[in-house]
Amino acid sequence: MSAEDVYNRISVLRAERGISRKDLAAALGVHYQTIGYLERGEYSPSLFLAMRIAEHFEVPLEVVFSLKPFPRLGSGRVS
Amino acid sequence: MNTWKESWRQTRAEVLERQEGRHWYSTRGARRLIAAAVVLSLVLLWADVALSWADAPSEDADLSDFALLALSMVIYFPAVTLLNIATRGVVEMSERNLDERQIGERLRTVAVAHQVTTGILAVLYVTALVAGSSRGPDYSMPADAIVSMALALLLTHFVLPLIVSAWRLPDPPDDDD
Repeated sequence: MSAEDVYNRISVLRAERGISRKDLAAALGVHYQTIGYLERGEYSPSLFLAMRIAEHFEVPLEVVFSLKPFPRLGSGRVS
Repeated sequence: MNTWKESWRQTRAEVLERQEGRHWYSTRGARRLIAAAVVLSLVLLWADVALSWADAPSEDADLSDFALLALSMVIYFPAVTLLNIATRGVVEMSERNLDERQIGERLRTVAVAHQVTTGILAVLYVTALVAGSSRGPDYSMPADAIVSMALALLLTHFVLPLIVSAWRLPDPPDDDD
């Protein structure tokens, strides 16, 4: 992991809300490939874009972005 | 107000988003091959400069100049068009049509291209200096060679950022899932 990696859950949120990359890109005013690069972790957004993404999904910023990898779904389940 | 300029900008943006012929540039290897073709067209242009410099003035030189220039342009135009589509106009479009990732990418490619252009200018300066000093104080460069060199320099300066951008571009994500 490089020191500048920023992890995100954009693809999870997008799938949950049934939004396509192109629709999300249009709503945010960015190129649809930028959404793809964000999801693949190949581009870290500016603070402004990160806040707009969180605002679009109506969740706090830390729900979408993290400096540590997000736990896999179900990995934190209490046995 | 919908001016012809805006209409042209919109048409250009639409063309750059076209998906036809995607197989030509969808992989990094294919893009680098096209970028290499553009480099080849520039090499031909610079060979034309060398030829104009060495042989001018002569009719044979004029003919070979024209042949090299024509061959270079036959490669240059389609290859540059493909690269512009492959990079989605990152170098070609005005900044207001680009998002923050694209603007950042453009800044990086222009910085690299600037370094390469500086190197080319330095080599050119040394070459002219050596050629000039070895042929005596009365030597002057042929006008044909100056014109060819101006064109080669202009196109090199113009297209280098596009070559760098295409060379660096990772495979884009699928258009949608």
